[in-house]
Amino acid sequence: MAGAAAVDLSLAALPATATPPPLSAADHRAAAMAEEEAPSEGFGWLFSWLPAWCPTSLLHLKEAEDKMLKCIASMYNKRYVYISNGNKIWTLTFSPDLSNKTPLVLLHGFGGGVGLWALNFEDLCENRTVHAFDLLGFGRSSRPHFDTDAREAENQFVESIEEWRKEVGLEKMILLGHNLGGFLAAAYSLKYPSRVKHLILVEPWGFPERPDNAEHERPIPIWIKALGAILSPFNPLAGLRIAGPFGLSLVQRLRPDFKRKYSSMFDDNTVAEYIYHCNVQSPSGETAFKNMTIPYGWAKRPMLQRISQMDQDIPITVVYGARSCIDGNSGSTIQSLRPNSYVKTIAILGAGHYVYADQPEDFNEKVKDICDSVD
Amino acid sequence: MLDREGGWSVSFAGCGFLGVYHIGAATCLQERAPHVIRDARHIYGASAGALAGAVLVGGGSLAQACSDVLALAKEARKRNLGPLHPSFNVIKIIRDGLMRNLPENTHQLSSGRLCISLTRVSDGKNALISNFNSKEEVIQALICSSFVPIYCGLIPPSFRGVRYVDGGISDNLPHYECKNTITVSPFAGECDICPKGKSANFHEMNVTNTSIQFSLGNLYRLTQALFPPEPKVLGEICEQGYLDALKFLKENGILNDSIYIHLSFAKRNTHEAAQQHLDHVKRRKLTENNGVETLTSLNDQLKQNPWPLEKSIFESLPPRLRKALQEACKEQNGFYAQFSKLFPMRVISYLMLPYTLPVESAYSVALRLVNWFPDMPADVRWMQEQLFRIAATVYSQAKSKLFCTARKDNYASLRKCQTVPSSVEFRSSYCHLKMPHSAAHIESWLWESSCFMQSAMKNAPADIQEPSDLKSYPNFLPNPDESALEIDVDSSSETSFQTAPEY
Repeated sequence: MAGAAAVDLSLAALPATATPPPLSAADHRAAAMAEEEAPSEGFGWLFSWLPAWCPTSLLHLKEAEDKMLKCIASMYNKRYVYISNGNKIWTLTFSPDLSNKTPLVLLHGFGGGVGLWALNFEDLCENRTVHAFDLLGFGRSSRPHFDTDAREAENQFVESIEEWRKEVGLEKMILLGHNLGGFLAAAYSLKYPSRVKHLILVEPWGFPERPDNAEHERPIPIWIKALGAILSPFNPLAGLRIAGPFGLSLVQRLRPDFKRKYSSMFDDNTVAEYIYHCNVQSPSGETAFKNMTIPYGWAKRPMLQRISQMDQDIPITVVYGARSCIDGNSGSTIQSLRPNSYVKTIAILGAGHYVYADQPEDFNEKVKDICDSVD
Repeated sequence: MLDREGGWSVSFAGCGFLGVYHIGAATCLQERAPHVIRDARHIYGASAGALAGAVLVGGGSLAQACSDVLALAKEARKRNLGPLHPSFNVIKIIRDGLMRNLPENTHQLSSGRLCISLTRVSDGKNALISNFNSKEEVIQALICSSFVPIYCGLIPPSFRGVRYVDGGISDNLPHYECKNTITVSPFAGECDICPKGKSANFHEMNVTNTSIQFSLGNLYRLTQALFPPEPKVLGEICEQGYLDALKFLKENGILNDSIYIHLSFAKRNTHEAAQQHLDHVKRRKLTENNGVETLTSLNDQLKQNPWPLEKSIFESLPPRLRKALQEACKEQNGFYAQFSKLFPMRVISYLMLPYTLPVESAYSVALRLVNWFPDMPADVRWMQEQLFRIAATVYSQAKSKLFCTARKDNYASLRKCQTVPSSVEFRSSYCHLKMPHSAAHIESWLWESSCFMQSAMKNAPADIQEPSDLKSYPNFLPNPDESALEIDVDSSSETSFQTAPEY
């Protein structure tokens, strides 16, 4: 009882909740949300206390996403696609009528969501259907419990993509994945090669193996290594949740570049809000990602070890930002591992890891060229 | 990468002592692909990046700059408190080093090309300075750009009468967002030339345009930026800069094509050198001389080893830079140096700190006072201004608080004033003013208004007319003949009266 009162109090005190939408609608939606949320919470008092500390909810996320997408002039529909185990996948579909061409499916990266493609939808959907969805465990999709085993977690992701495809009714698709999405797109193509017409890997995560001689560079003082050892068991974005009400300003402080990347669309902190609300929800996909990595940031099951088993007929294009810290050499390595297949590497100048937001025009043009080469 | 029509720029990030990385990278660009620097539109830089840029464009010697930085680092490490020891006067050492290193015509070489990022103290905004009238001005701008508040001192230096501090506070990597800017940063992150970390982590933070990957290596680098490591480690950072720049040149195919261009360029140069030198301005002359010079050294290197290998320490660096680094890394061999390194001696020196520190501080304060003498009147005036400003803010806030409580009594009479016919116009023109409609914001508003008073010369006339607008309004206050400051106060308390009748 006391706990509930505390929740109420702190919610009332939080600045982010100071501007609620019209009461009736909010009540309605909040009630619906509560119904859906109830079964997923099994951690008792700790999690019921969490939302009080972090000013977020699915409703906040929905509003942030609506703000992200409000500048898009093209027609699109948005819906939940229901898959097995009661999970649902939040899906946006652009130009749904252009069914004569292979649709393009966008998989966002770690910590992202469909909203981050805001600068790309309009160009990409000009002459073909574009689907974008929140990966299982991210954004507005369900946040189930993932297996702690890296192989199982990866499989859960891949199966969720396959079930989504079945439900939406796509025969074949051009699969584009950024960061973690790139890794999953490759994993999906390994398992379901017949469904993929072209694989576009944008700044893919998890391809190279961790180098053995990671320590041979300049010696690092003990205290810094100790700090790294202390932090490594935590989720990558745990700090954001610990920061609670200060999380949003933390995002704004640490990543002011996002505001600049999307400055052609928004003058305010829309993007920071969206990223914040995407990531302070209960960490499901984030935990799965954590279980798929080994320090610091390397994949447990690197894709380059397996990519040679991929169907030779699937063409691959690797797009990377020239400034990014992720190594662009993956492209040439993939090429050498698949000598008889089409592999192309495209570098986008002046772009970092978020290629599609750093240089949206170049990126859209390149992706459209790739799609046009398919059909 | 190098767009011939659009042109390109090079931007060096601010990074304190890690500036040796820039020196390594700049050396590589200068020797391996001189046209990248020569034909660049602008060289941007903040703090240490600006220093490297100034040496690069302004005709200084990079090897000399490198040994200067290492000497500075040694000086900083000499004492028990490191760079925080009061007798470590970083600004003076930098100034002396630049005075020695930069040629007399450096302002002609760098005007219009070198853009130094500064942070204005009055409003915290960024300023890019690119025209200089004298060598002293170049150096003064560089000093302003390198002035890390508190670390370097308390009173910010001034450039052309305006107080500035470290450019890294507002924009550490100018023109980062342009596609055609070659960005150089010693922190692993999203830059064209930066150390590619051994971490696959894609999480990063962005500090005033410099992206810094979350990795242990970067954390270590951040600690080194202001608290320098041993000269050998700095030398390795320098070498890293050279190798990263070389990698960048190779990956973008600039390296080969520059060798080709320069072979033909140099041939023509030997034939037509005389008349060309007559025709060209001084700057051109110097860069061409540079070109020939670097070509010979480049040829030598190509003969020796076509691609540098990391065989032993600093092996990959060009001879001049290597020599500078190796000399700086040499241990002091004297008896005293050996003796003072012994563990008991170091413990004793730490234990003696409470006794030696006051003496040394007093001595260094005295020295600084003597050096400060020429700037003293200006600095004292500035401090007075700041004090007055703070006092005025406190006073006006207190006054407005008091006035608010008294407001209720006067409310009726004020209401009468409001029914003056011109009030509609009055209100609409008020909307034009960018003024927070609350007395709580008065401090920030005052701050801004005094800023534009100062920088009225620069601002558009639209801005200047604001105060005159203010004065033209009927003043409801008992004492309209007070100073400008108080008119500001009063007018913003008027706004609260304006909004009062609405609820």
